[in-house]
Amino acid sequence: MTLLYFLTLFPLVPALGMLLARGDRARDAVGLVGSGIIMAVTVVVAVMFFGTGPQSFEVAPGTSHVLSIISSAIDVILCAVILYNAYKYRNALTTVLGVVQLVGSLAFASMTLPAAEAVTATPLYLDYMSVIMVLAVGIVGSLICVYALGYMKDFQAHDEHEAALRGQTAPDRRPQFLALMFLFLSAMFVIVISDNLEWLFCGWEITTVCSFLMIGYTRTPEAIKNAFTQIILNMLGGIAFLVGLMYLHLNGMPLTISGMIELSGAGTAQSALLVMPVVLLSLAALTKAAQMPFHTWLLGAMVAPTPTSALLHSSTMVKAGVFLMVKLSPLYAIYPVTGFMVTSVGAITFLLAALMAISQSNAKRVLAYSTISNLGLISACLGVGAPEAVWAAIFLILFHTVAKSLLFLCVGTAEHHIGSRNIEDMDGMFSRMPHLTRLMMLGIMGMFVAPFGMLVSKWGALVAFAQTGNVLMIMVLAFGSAATFFFWGKWLAKLSGVDPTAQNVEVNVHKTEWMALNTIAALLILCCVAFPLISSGLVSPYLAMVFGRVPYVIGKDAMYLMVVIVAFIAVVLLTSFRVSNKPHVNVYLSGVGTDNYRHFRGSMGHEVKAEKRNWYSEDALGEKRIGPAGSVVCCSIILFALLCCAWIGPERLAMSAPSVLRGKYFEGSGVVGIFIGTVAFALLAPLAGGLIDGIDRKLSARMQGRVGPRLLQPFYDVAKLLRKAPASVNTMDDTYMACALIFTVVGGGIFVSGSNTLLCAFMVTLAAIFVVLASASTQSPFAQVGADRELLQVMSYEPAVLLMSVGLYLATDSFDSIAVTGQSAPIIVYSAPIFLALLAVLTIKLRKSPFDLSYSHHAHQEIVQGVATEMSGGTLAKMTLMHWCETVLFLMWVGMFFVWDNPVSWVVALVVMAATYFVEVLIDNTFARSTWRSCFKLGWGVALVFGLLNLMPILVDVFI
Amino acid sequence: MDHKMSRSPWVIHYDGSSCNGCDIEVLASLTPLFDAERFGVVNTGNPKHADIFLVTGSVNAQNLPVVRQIYNQMLEPKCVVACGICACSGGVFRDAYNVIGGVDRAIPVDVYAPGCAIRPETVIDAIVEACGILDQKEAVMRAGGDPLTVGGAATWDGGVELGEDGFVAAWAGDTAAGTPAAPAAAKEGE
Repeated sequence: MTLLYFLTLFPLVPALGMLLARGDRARDAVGLVGSGIIMAVTVVVAVMFFGTGPQSFEVAPGTSHVLSIISSAIDVILCAVILYNAYKYRNALTTVLGVVQLVGSLAFASMTLPAAEAVTATPLYLDYMSVIMVLAVGIVGSLICVYALGYMKDFQAHDEHEAALRGQTAPDRRPQFLALMFLFLSAMFVIVISDNLEWLFCGWEITTVCSFLMIGYTRTPEAIKNAFTQIILNMLGGIAFLVGLMYLHLNGMPLTISGMIELSGAGTAQSALLVMPVVLLSLAALTKAAQMPFHTWLLGAMVAPTPTSALLHSSTMVKAGVFLMVKLSPLYAIYPVTGFMVTSVGAITFLLAALMAISQSNAKRVLAYSTISNLGLISACLGVGAPEAVWAAIFLILFHTVAKSLLFLCVGTAEHHIGSRNIEDMDGMFSRMPHLTRLMMLGIMGMFVAPFGMLVSKWGALVAFAQTGNVLMIMVLAFGSAATFFFWGKWLAKLSGVDPTAQNVEVNVHKTEWMALNTIAALLILCCVAFPLISSGLVSPYLAMVFGRVPYVIGKDAMYLMVVIVAFIAVVLLTSFRVSNKPHVNVYLSGVGTDNYRHFRGSMGHEVKAEKRNWYSEDALGEKRIGPAGSVVCCSIILFALLCCAWIGPERLAMSAPSVLRGKYFEGSGVVGIFIGTVAFALLAPLAGGLIDGIDRKLSARMQGRVGPRLLQPFYDVAKLLRKAPASVNTMDDTYMACALIFTVVGGGIFVSGSNTLLCAFMVTLAAIFVVLASASTQSPFAQVGADRELLQVMSYEPAVLLMSVGLYLATDSFDSIAVTGQSAPIIVYSAPIFLALLAVLTIKLRKSPFDLSYSHHAHQEIVQGVATEMSGGTLAKMTLMHWCETVLFLMWVGMFFVWDNPVSWVVALVVMAATYFVEVLIDNTFARSTWRSCFKLGWGVALVFGLLNLMPILVDVFI
Repeated sequence: MDHKMSRSPWVIHYDGSSCNGCDIEVLASLTPLFDAERFGVVNTGNPKHADIFLVTGSVNAQNLPVVRQIYNQMLEPKCVVACGICACSGGVFRDAYNVIGGVDRAIPVDVYAPGCAIRPETVIDAIVEACGILDQKEAVMRAGGDPLTVGGAATWDGGVELGEDGFVAAWAGDTAAGTPAAPAAAKEGE
């Protein structure tokens, strides 16, 4: 109890210290000691929590009343601060909203404060979710404060330099800035431990105003404009919150979260009235979480110094919004209209923000869109109100906090040392800032590839949506994930380029910055490795406490497997074991390359530099096109929910029983099974794949009326490649390629051992990422174009592949491939449309013409073989082996649709696989290579049409 | 002898300054009609993948560095086939002011395949011939030896050197370093 008071009040001490301290050294000392103590207290709180378990804390009514008065006073003071600034900068709208909020706060205070005895006995609590948030805010938040110490020195130096150029002096506002950061931490702690909604609201408003002041930090016209956008949108949310509180109070309902939950279970007329406040509080939470149509404030907030973006606008403040929704999530199942609002707004935001992120080149804007998108997914999960979905949401919150803060801090440091936050300028950063770039790559991987936390959480979300029969969400998730893959992938590819001519510019990064960056990176890996522990120790107990049952989303064995793979990737990325002694060769530039990496002798005799820019599709995915449309739709949804509450009788909006779950669970074949499967796959798949390749070439030759190569020609090719002299463009590409091969084999092993098909698909995607890294790291323009096309291909087929797993689930209620053998009929019976979609994208996956965009087929004469341009000898052999394994795996996916509990079915499956491959060869020989656009349209089109067609019965089923 | 190399000869084709007659024939030999893939031949178009370098046309000051760079980017064991008489010796253009000579002025040539234009049968024959040299080179390499002691490289005179100005600075056989007479000018004077 005392500890909680200390936790919330202590950050004010360094905040005050910052205002008083003079000089960098004093500030550094205050900041380091302050952050250190906050971190220590956080850990102590967590440790003590594990001793005692979740509990509520009693506060003496007198004290409680005094605290309520203080919180009301703070609300009024905050309104005054807003009004002062609105007056100072002559902002009419803000003034109006400020006055409304001031009047509202005063009115609310006059209603509640006189009745001192009405306050709840236990206004503070600490449960599993609070502890997760306390740890996230305390540790990540404090680290960001430490980072800010060094960062702001560079920031100020830069400002002074700019001002001196104009003949002015730059005012030093750093003390206020750093003080605000600590004040903010205190407010966050209040939010996550207050059961009393008045107090929570007080913390809520402090964070809003902190954010407002920090966005306006530089006082440039743009900063001021964006700060006001932020305050206007968040005040709308704040007012909604306030109205919700008043509604609760006027209807005699408790002003606490736990009280609301308790009341909702009563099923009385009064409990039905809860629907309105839940909508209003959710609306406030959606504004805070920057969901459409309120997302613009978060984009504008990116003008603030980077620590602000990291602390407020990605890792903590926006999480206050989703935190509140986590707390309200049990209510969403009871009041479907609120769940509908939150899920739909979140889902639309998730998909559209991910698409818009593709069109951005400013790193901070990409991060902002990705934040909006992820918060959308979190909201969507929470709106479902089932423990499975909330499980995914909590993990999304946790991993997003860690990975995104790491990314923001990396971008901030990079900006100060390469002078730009444009992703295009991060070309070759792998050599310019080696350590920082590796951390950044780790952060990006943490955001979007399995088996890092974010993707595992998305996996959980997919399972949850499947289990709750939420068809539209499955589709949104499938497409949104593909878009997410693309914008992260192209950034990752940009970073990975190794430029041997580059100067290392990271030597004078501040020590405090390194300290923060390394610790957060370690934290990210720790979170991924401790994933099973966090799940069983914190998240599952929380859900058991709230929902009364523990969700089953991802099997233990799958989790352990992922832990191993994360550790493996971290070792590959962060250690230097990969240093190879292969002789160095320059990249291929059509024979006219000069000494430098991308320079060549142009036709006019001058030296020209080849550059490759990323893929943005501004015309199709620009924010001007998508943003307004999304805002209109989301606005309508919110209005619809509000109107429902206003017009339809509240008793008709409450549901007594939550929706029924489908799902029976297999544990797959366990770690041992997967290991045996992997070994078997590693031994047999290359043999089978090579033979298939040989048959393919022989068949193609026969179709062209010639003899063709020997049947075993592919094996001869690989045997030859392995005997070529070793050479490498850089020390990385061979390692990346080896990783890709390993991941493909593991993916195959997972499938043949009968385990989770989603995990199998993720492994294949992970392998694709490593292929992209291998080819992008070469800095060869040819290879990088190939890498880009590879990313596009993955984006094209990804939705259909995810749907394949959903199709399996549809028929068997399990994601494990072994489940088909227990069926009395093949799953093609249930999932024929999805099977057709899979067939359609198989051409892309098998890299057959017309969709062999990123490679060329052996029989064609493409210029230089795309992604494989710089690969030679053993590296190329690894890639060939990987393709063989992939071919076998993909054909097995096809075969899976035709297996049931009859042994004869295996023969049927084999026949179908052979027929499918024959058709692929036929297509390959019939059509000329097409464009990426048709590839993309085909991939997404079939997934959308056939997927919806197949899933529609479930959608309709809910209503019947 | 081990035939691992010769069973998978991947080629890259480069047109030095040919009239395109030989290029068409080289590509013709890769079409279904002549079906060079019977021998495992694949046209990779990429020096890092290729084992056999098919050059058509003669060498001049413009393309000499290009031929050399492509050759250097190929990995041992590798072979060079000069396709057509121009590539072998400069052909009828031998005495043209801008022609330096056959491909062996730039890089060591293992197989000389004459013809004007070269016939597809000759191309395939030359590739098969080159395969033998590939196997020999590989055997030498496995024994720890230098692949340059096998094939054309063993007896190559070093070709010509280009100067900073892009003109020929030194001819093979110019043993006296710093010969006052500018070789390029001498050539032009002929």
